[in-house]
Amino acid sequence: MSDVEMAAAAETDWVRVTSDDGYTFLVRRKVANASETMRDMLDTAGNYAEAIARTCPVQQRGVIVEKLLEYMSFKAHYAEAGPRDEIPVQELMERIPPEIVLELLLAADYQNM
Amino acid sequence: MNEITGPSSALTDYLRDVGINATTIARRVATRTASAQNQPQAQPEAGPSRPRNNSHRDVDEGYASDNLDEPESPPKKKKLSKAAEAKLKAKAKKKKAEDEDYDEDEDAYTALSKSAWSTPKPAAGSFADCATCEKQFTVTKYTMAAVPGPGFLCHPCAKASGTDPFKKSAAPRKRKTPAERRTVVHIEERSFPSLVSICIDVVARHIDDVEAFGDIGALNMEAISKALSKTRRLTSDNAPLFYSAENKRLSMYDATNLTPDAFTALGHLNPNLTTLKLDFCGPLNDAVMSSWTNSLPHLVSLELLGPFLIREAAWIAFLQAHPKMEAFLITQSPRFSLDCLAALIASSKTTLRRLRLREVGKLCDDFLEPIAEIAALEYLDLAEPAESLTDDAVIALLSKVGTTLTHLDLSGHGALTDDVLAHGLDPYAPALASLLLAHLPELTDAGVAAFFGACEGAPLVRLDLARNAALGTDALAAVLAHSGGALQALNISGWKDVGEVALSGLAGARELRTLDVGWCRAMDDFVMKKVLEGCRALVEIKVWGCNRVEGKWGATRRGVKIHGIESATVL
Repeated sequence: MSDVEMAAAAETDWVRVTSDDGYTFLVRRKVANASETMRDMLDTAGNYAEAIARTCPVQQRGVIVEKLLEYMSFKAHYAEAGPRDEIPVQELMERIPPEIVLELLLAADYQNM
Repeated sequence: MNEITGPSSALTDYLRDVGINATTIARRVATRTASAQNQPQAQPEAGPSRPRNNSHRDVDEGYASDNLDEPESPPKKKKLSKAAEAKLKAKAKKKKAEDEDYDEDEDAYTALSKSAWSTPKPAAGSFADCATCEKQFTVTKYTMAAVPGPGFLCHPCAKASGTDPFKKSAAPRKRKTPAERRTVVHIEERSFPSLVSICIDVVARHIDDVEAFGDIGALNMEAISKALSKTRRLTSDNAPLFYSAENKRLSMYDATNLTPDAFTALGHLNPNLTTLKLDFCGPLNDAVMSSWTNSLPHLVSLELLGPFLIREAAWIAFLQAHPKMEAFLITQSPRFSLDCLAALIASSKTTLRRLRLREVGKLCDDFLEPIAEIAALEYLDLAEPAESLTDDAVIALLSKVGTTLTHLDLSGHGALTDDVLAHGLDPYAPALASLLLAHLPELTDAGVAAFFGACEGAPLVRLDLARNAALGTDALAAVLAHSGGALQALNISGWKDVGEVALSGLAGARELRTLDVGWCRAMDDFVMKKVLEGCRALVEIKVWGCNRVEGKWGATRRGVKIHGIESATVL
């Protein structure tokens, strides 16, 4: 593959994110890149097993991973929003149930986002 | 005018240049009183229903801010209904607030000057008599006031006086319209909210209902506390998350945003604490300390970073109330005095194991006598004082408490010499595992080499001899011969003259995990390669300022972080 194709693939290809309890999520690489930790894991320059298999194990329950990915999609979607566009952070906040917020906080800290 | 003048300030000079002197100020006052008297006639339509009319007019005119503060006397006020009165009051209040705003915006000096040194200028287009040539002329917007006044100059006279009538005066500062003020650009505005911060907001929203968070027990509260502190989001609102009556230990890594009340609450809500650690606890004050005197009866270990507001009396009361302290670790406390230390020793000398008085401004030789009374001190940190301790005092101290010491930090005591090593540490401190003697410029290469050569104590696990530029090859060889097999952390940053061969010897330190060889000029890629191959446990190595290290030794073992290579930011 030429560099150009690689770069194009890097934007649109799919990566797999797995949870501790066996759930698997397929997301665009752009979404996975919203997490710095995940981006480094999947960085092809790093030569990690995760990058080769394009699979990111996250040591969290499925429900936590789902929320992580929800935020990451949110971030990937709104990251390029102009200064005038409103980012519906409030709505996102309301979708986070307090029962998992502390676990999510730790996971987010680990994911560096 | 006589020729004798005293020294004058730059302001006086400037005022004289622009024509402001005692005479013009006096005239201004006269004008003002005159205009104040004239006002009723000038404003015949000013009815009682518009009490602030004067001010309105002044604002429209732009400059005469002098009249803004004039007392108002709204007549017929008594006839107003209560509601209307309240309305009026609110209005006035709002108006006043606005005026205050304007006052802030306005540069007080320029506001004064315009109206101060000129009688009000006639309207453009009207006629006036020139102050100098007394000819009648037409007033334009370029017409200038005569200096010294009173009156105005016609165009030829103004030109003749040397000033350029067309020169723009310093543009009067425009009042910002409210719309303008609102569009202040905040740079932070666009930073995308992190998931951590969103979670913290959710926590804050539910903080009064701890059950909502489910089973907290399984989670690592310490990690959560760290995550909050990382972004300085630990506040009085979310701190209660970490409080519980069963808590024995509590650590907060950035308590900057906690209020004194929150610290007091901490004491009341964690009555069973034995170990408390607060970093950046600046707001901690006397009131909190005195409440802790009663509210934390089981406390035996206290670690504070930055308790600089606490005064002597509060320390003493607290320490007397806690007679069985095992660890007392404070950093940066300029008010911790000898009396405070005496109180600590008097109440806890049999139990105290760990003592840290780091960056304590009042530390001096006198402090060491009470410390010497401690029965079994294991950890002693007296680093970075305002004034260095002396050799004799330190040796005397070590002779008393040295046998049990495992950790000693005397960094930054510039007056300490090789004698402390030879006559203090060598004979009296055989159990040391961790020794930190950074920035002791009096130490010599030969002295340190002799100490480690003769030392019969157990090998050190951690050694910090950074910024001791006099140390070199002999010292490093002796250190490695003595402790090389056990050393886990070594800092020899700033040993500029240490040789290549001695540095290569580092490769024999099998247990080494962190190494700082910054500013060791002989360090190069060959030595680096040997060190990386020899020290299999290495996790982190710092080579700041080693400009011969270029990173060209091939592959680096995974898991080793190398900081400070000039040609690369992170490798």
